[in-house]
Amino acid sequence: MNKRARMRLLGVTAIILIVIGAILFSTRRTAAAYETITQVSKGGLKVGDRVNVGGSVVPGSWNKQSNPMRFTIREESDSAGTGPTLKVVYSGTAPNTFGDGVVAIVTGSLAKGGVVEANQMITKCPSKYESASGAIPVAELGAGKSMVGNSGVQTTGYVKPDSLSSNPAQRFTLSEKADGTGKSVVVKFSGALPDTVKDGAEVVVTGTLQSGTVFDATAVALSQGK
Amino acid sequence: MATFGLVTLWVAFGAALVSIATLLIGHAQGPKKGEPLTNIGYLATFAAAGALTISILIMVFAFFREDFTLQYVVENHSTDVSGLSWLYKLSGVWAGREGSFLFWTWLVSVFTAYIAWKRMEITDALSNMGIMISNVVLALFSVGMLFSESNAPFTATRSSWIDPTTHKLIGEAAGFGMNPLLEHWAMTIHPPVLFIGYAGMTIPFAFALAALIVKDGSSTWISIVDRVTVFSWLFLGAGIGLGAIWAYAVLGWGGYWGWDPVESGSLLPWLTGVALVHSMTVYKRRDGFKRWAILLASVTFSLVVLGTFITRSGIVQSAHTFAADPVSYDLFLSMILGAVGISVALLIARWDVFAGNDEFEALTSKEGAYYFNNVIMLVAALLVAYLTISPAVPKALPFGHTSVPPATYDAVARPVGVVYLAILAFCPFLAWRRTDWATVWKRMQIPLAAAAVIFALLIAEWVTTLKPIYDYMITQNTDAGRKFIAAGPAWYYHALAILGFLVASVLIANTVWLFIDGARKRAEARGEGFFAALWSILTKARGQSGGYLAHIGMGIIMIGLVGSAMYVQDETFMVQDKPGTTFKMADYTFAYQGVSESTLPNGNAVSETHLVVTRNGKRVGTMDPGMTVYTNLSTQSKTRLDAKMISNPLRDIFVVFQGGANDNQIVFNVKINPLIWFTWGGFILLLFGTALAVWPRRALREVATSGHQAKAA
Repeated sequence: MNKRARMRLLGVTAIILIVIGAILFSTRRTAAAYETITQVSKGGLKVGDRVNVGGSVVPGSWNKQSNPMRFTIREESDSAGTGPTLKVVYSGTAPNTFGDGVVAIVTGSLAKGGVVEANQMITKCPSKYESASGAIPVAELGAGKSMVGNSGVQTTGYVKPDSLSSNPAQRFTLSEKADGTGKSVVVKFSGALPDTVKDGAEVVVTGTLQSGTVFDATAVALSQGK
Repeated sequence: MATFGLVTLWVAFGAALVSIATLLIGHAQGPKKGEPLTNIGYLATFAAAGALTISILIMVFAFFREDFTLQYVVENHSTDVSGLSWLYKLSGVWAGREGSFLFWTWLVSVFTAYIAWKRMEITDALSNMGIMISNVVLALFSVGMLFSESNAPFTATRSSWIDPTTHKLIGEAAGFGMNPLLEHWAMTIHPPVLFIGYAGMTIPFAFALAALIVKDGSSTWISIVDRVTVFSWLFLGAGIGLGAIWAYAVLGWGGYWGWDPVESGSLLPWLTGVALVHSMTVYKRRDGFKRWAILLASVTFSLVVLGTFITRSGIVQSAHTFAADPVSYDLFLSMILGAVGISVALLIARWDVFAGNDEFEALTSKEGAYYFNNVIMLVAALLVAYLTISPAVPKALPFGHTSVPPATYDAVARPVGVVYLAILAFCPFLAWRRTDWATVWKRMQIPLAAAAVIFALLIAEWVTTLKPIYDYMITQNTDAGRKFIAAGPAWYYHALAILGFLVASVLIANTVWLFIDGARKRAEARGEGFFAALWSILTKARGQSGGYLAHIGMGIIMIGLVGSAMYVQDETFMVQDKPGTTFKMADYTFAYQGVSESTLPNGNAVSETHLVVTRNGKRVGTMDPGMTVYTNLSTQSKTRLDAKMISNPLRDIFVVFQGGANDNQIVFNVKINPLIWFTWGGFILLLFGTALAVWPRRALREVATSGHQAKAA
């Protein structure tokens, strides 16, 4: 091979790569780093930094009609609602799936006061299915591991027909049988129900038995069977 | 049905394993002694294709019979009641993850069987190994379907979903079905077309590896697979284009390319495919670029799998992605790394076998142009791949743990695209080895004059339409407006656009000139008429003519991209919900006439707004952008925005009805997309040219003879 031509060839290749690298480097600031709500709320990020952060929408913190839309998110794992929260101002049309408890992943820049001004949002529905293996049937609640006051109890049963409401204090009634008969408890739940939770659906509910008839839920999912 | 389907998958898996084993042992025993075993390997290849054909037919029939005993049918059946509902029944087969994987696997088996059929008489070591590798791919795909629950197409529906007496879906399953956004003609053909391209790219990879295994540095493997490769690349391109059309017509955002991980995933193998197809040409005609061809065949296959990996492994968040699945993760990751790793290792071991005629005398030669074509396409593909998976890359690396916005891709793609098209514009005039500039200059005078005319027209469009849109948009304090400002200083923005127009003009004029000049010379030499000569060039030297038509297509696409990706006027209007209210954009006035609402037999609620559009007081037409709410579906997106457009050769007016807002107001998003017809038109020419190049029968012999001539010269 002609040596001079080869050197030139490599030289031009290097120039192409360097130019592409330089362009990329110059646009680096527009890339949004994945952060957790805890990291953002701790500070350490500068106003104007681009971030990509996801969390579940705090129930009642939003109004779809306002423009721009404001809402608050908290860590997905923070089912007790004690951890840090993050305020989001979103300019854009809210996805149809947006709602209480939905996981919203927003992209935007950090503004003063720790608010994220987002212009992109993807929503993920809460996981639809949960395995019922290990869950305690409603009829057997109240004994052993599922004593009143114990947290993290998983119970399984059916949504009593016509019991679904939007009232978080009595979201629906969980019964032993699909037709709503047998032993039942009232489920308190403020998050988003999977779309497919309907009358007669078999569900797995996680939370604490508050009294003999009230179950305070932190998560509701469709049963995947045992 | 579920059991029967599962049996066909096991049969296919078993047949693939038998084929791999017999072909390998047959190869080890040598051509004479190993022949009986090798023959079994070929038969097993046909058996695998037969079994998978039965599985895909089971799936198709299950959709047409609405056989709800299959969970996949329950989750992906269409509830559409329009005249196209039969088509949506069929497209249910590839509407979801499990079915599309089955469909893809079936196609791999069909491609393998096709090649096996063609090589059955010869059963040379190269073909035997190529078919063996294809069967390895097939077996790995079967593993994916048999051992990963989330890829298994033949899972029985759980009993609680079906009413035992009426066989209707009950409970939560009553709301399951195909995502309504997929109910569009382009979306019914987009996946199968793309999957044909994906599946076909297995073949060049398999034979590249086979050439490495049998240490055959001749161009035999290229002549076996080059047509399949161009064919697959054509389908990849067509699939990407159909996806873009669907995104434009259905998703209601007025664009067609957003660098979404799924879109980018389909673009990756197309980019390296460009380089592969061109390297194969040099390999066959000039005995050069051999290592490039081997490497690109493997990388292209890896990138096909990477595209799937991105969407199925859940490593990247996207609007399209599926939940994480460990089997897919391990399986696809090992295929991606394995394909490239094994071929690179073997290539290094056989480095000298694949030494080619790669003499470079000067940068400005045909070799130089092919080389830079390869470098740019490979770097572009690897870069897009890296940026797409960057959310899953550790934070310490550049762009690690970040999501890269479309603006970053654009910032790189625009200048690189301009440089790439400049190479395309001049390459036909470059000579092999070294170019004599005096001759080139003489040949290029007429086309350059023609390019100046095209360029002047484009500049006129820029001055009258494009620049005013830019000037208007940067005054708008909206997201769309801020994007213009964020893309860099105005002079740089416009310079890129104008350079884009310039290289496109030169590319189109130069390449058209090649046809005119060629036809003139042929007409003179043979005493034919000009058009008869042109016709002969188009129909006889199909490979080359098709290639040049594809180049012209690229130039036209560039014009479309400059207009419809860089100079889009985009505004959102809040309008009083009162007939007679008007709103204005550019010189278009939209008069709102009201909204009508109706319910379809399947329960879907359709609202349709009515607008009368005038331009400078002259009536242009009416538009009825609407919205369909899928009341009977409980999963996935429930609303489809039915955007409407008025399409002119120089611009599309695109209107989306976004629903109601506060205070009795309704929201419209209006876009002016200049020159978008050029994007579609150029794309059609690109496909047509590629199709011409791959058209069967005599074309093969033509290429072979012209190859010899080139060598002799």
